[in-house]
Amino acid sequence: MKKRIGCLIAVLLLTGILAACGSNSSNDAESSGDEVVIDFFHRWPNEPRKSFYDQKIKEFEEANPNVKINVDSVLNDSYKEKVRVLVSNDDLPDIFSSWSDTFAENLVSSGRIKPLTDLIESDPDWSDKIIESQYEGFTFDDITYGIPFTIDGKAFFYNKKIFEEAGVDVPETYDEFIEVLDELQAAGYETPLVEGLTDAWAISHYMGTIFHRVVEPEILAQDYNPETAAFTDESYIKGLEIFQELTTYMGEVSTAIDHEAARNMFSAGEVPVLYMQFAEILMVEDAGDVDFGFFNFPEVTDGNGSADSLTGAPEGWMLSENAPKEAEEFLKFLTSEETAAEFTEVDGQLNAIEGGVTEENANPTSYEAYQIVLDSSETAPWFDNAVDITTADIFMRGGQDLAIGQTTPEQIIEEVQSQVAN
Amino acid sequence: MNKKFPLTPILFLLPSVFFLAVFIYIPLVQNFYNSFFDFNVFSNSKEFVGLAQIQKLFQDDVVMVSIMNNFKYAIISVIFQIFFALILASILEDKLFRKVAPTLRVIYFIPVMISISVIALLFSFIYNPQMGLLNSFLELVGLDTLTRPWLGNSTSAIYSVIAMSQWQSIGLITMLFIVAIQKIPNELYEAADIDGAGRIRKFFSVTLPQVKETMFVNLLITVTGSILVFNEPFILTNGGPGNSSMTLAVHMYQTGFSRDNMGYASTIATLTFLLSAIFALIQIKVSKTGKED
Repeated sequence: MKKRIGCLIAVLLLTGILAACGSNSSNDAESSGDEVVIDFFHRWPNEPRKSFYDQKIKEFEEANPNVKINVDSVLNDSYKEKVRVLVSNDDLPDIFSSWSDTFAENLVSSGRIKPLTDLIESDPDWSDKIIESQYEGFTFDDITYGIPFTIDGKAFFYNKKIFEEAGVDVPETYDEFIEVLDELQAAGYETPLVEGLTDAWAISHYMGTIFHRVVEPEILAQDYNPETAAFTDESYIKGLEIFQELTTYMGEVSTAIDHEAARNMFSAGEVPVLYMQFAEILMVEDAGDVDFGFFNFPEVTDGNGSADSLTGAPEGWMLSENAPKEAEEFLKFLTSEETAAEFTEVDGQLNAIEGGVTEENANPTSYEAYQIVLDSSETAPWFDNAVDITTADIFMRGGQDLAIGQTTPEQIIEEVQSQVAN
Repeated sequence: MNKKFPLTPILFLLPSVFFLAVFIYIPLVQNFYNSFFDFNVFSNSKEFVGLAQIQKLFQDDVVMVSIMNNFKYAIISVIFQIFFALILASILEDKLFRKVAPTLRVIYFIPVMISISVIALLFSFIYNPQMGLLNSFLELVGLDTLTRPWLGNSTSAIYSVIAMSQWQSIGLITMLFIVAIQKIPNELYEAADIDGAGRIRKFFSVTLPQVKETMFVNLLITVTGSILVFNEPFILTNGGPGNSSMTLAVHMYQTGFSRDNMGYASTIATLTFLLSAIFALIQIKVSKTGKED
């Protein structure tokens, strides 16, 4: 008797498992009848973006009655982990958000991401609206794998009132910038430029931009690739010397504070200049009452690099290899001019769609920032995303050491060279 | 041979042995094994590299800096937590302080009960270069020359971190000493009184020899704790500026989790284990713990 019951249970369990398999495979087929199911995964379970995307999904479903969109979202760091797991098997959602550069490249290397070059070429009405320079971080070996959406840029924010009182103008070149800093110092601002150097990424943002100014683009591209990295070019030393010179204006205080503290000092009007992201505009406005403008990291006259590249990387959308045709349509819908314009109004972050950010729907400061993003000939990625993390770490720790006079540019480069040689 | 095999005590020990094995011994062996490989969190395969990681250990300047910092930590902790805590304990146990001693004991013990993360945040305000209490206080009493960005200066960073630890841990060690002093038979002090011994003489001739055992235990806690220290430098400075306040544990963590080099992190962990094990063995040998009773 007992044996029989045991058999029965075993059979029941087995059928359960088999049934589960069955339902799984039918799911994979994506469609039942005419209905198409799209899995959509993004990283904003927080407002205002969650409601924004929920609304967009509803609109798209109404316009396309045969499409059903399953949405899932988790926050930033968890998103990174979850996508990494998903991309290692076939459960990758049809459409999902991604950062650019190394993050995107890692995903692409899985071979499960859909190349979008054909899609872009086939529909110029839609794709021409996307700002050309923002594609770079999603393009590997001339194939584009992602559509950029939100954009960001790093620039020197300056306090207009202090600049006026000290009688200085926005600098055009790096030498002028140093003069401005000297004059500000003479005007009583002991540390005219501040940075939270305990935040290693803040250093990496500086270095990424500086290297783009002083190092030849071909050499930089070679060194940003872990396979060919050498860092033997003399310009890197010059770049580090520029960083070192700038830290002399930051004062001892900078090595002990973080970026947020530095931003608060700027918002309180204590510091005339700070290197910040456009995404921080709202935070500065909320924290204080300063009238500020910004300028890109000025041209280094004797540098070999790009004179006006803007550091800042976009975020965008990717499709999985097996995504249905409808997912492509949804992607176009998400990155259309109308969606982008609405996004600017609701969320405030800048985006890469022409006509998406206008004087009417953006706040004036953000609009000015937007112009800087448009005017830059090319974008430079965040340095810690661009190079191998161990190499970035040597530069970032080295940057702290430079600021406190514990090392020299030559020593840092030597360490980097021996690291990449291994 | 024993006729009755003592099964019961073994059964009682089994659960603890099991958990020790699962959570301590097996990971320890595994870590040792891992230190011969090159791999990161995301890779599925490990590449055998033999002794390459150990070779790297000897060429790594940061490891040297970390060991020095750990030693500074240990030396300063021993001075403050063993000697000062003992003195503090014997003062608190003195007849003169009988009335206030319970209150003071609680006050000294409060930091032990606060989470280290909270304390570290608290101290980052104290050390803050602009509005920090420490710099403001120094300016108030006219010692402007001593003000500095405590955590942002490569010489003062590690000492600032160590100072916070002393503030936090001295209460615990004091408490352990108080318990030990309370266990000393009163007759010994009475006899010393009859012999005409003063307070200081009594401390050296009665208290000190009687708390020797506790002292060695505390020494062990303090020194191994100093070699393993992670939270304090990690939260306050993250090893910076540069590598000036790096400790072995922080270096290990960053190597493994920020720089995706789990193999080398395992090697650093092995080194940390060996160091603390060696110190513990030396101390146990020297103190001959348990053999005096």
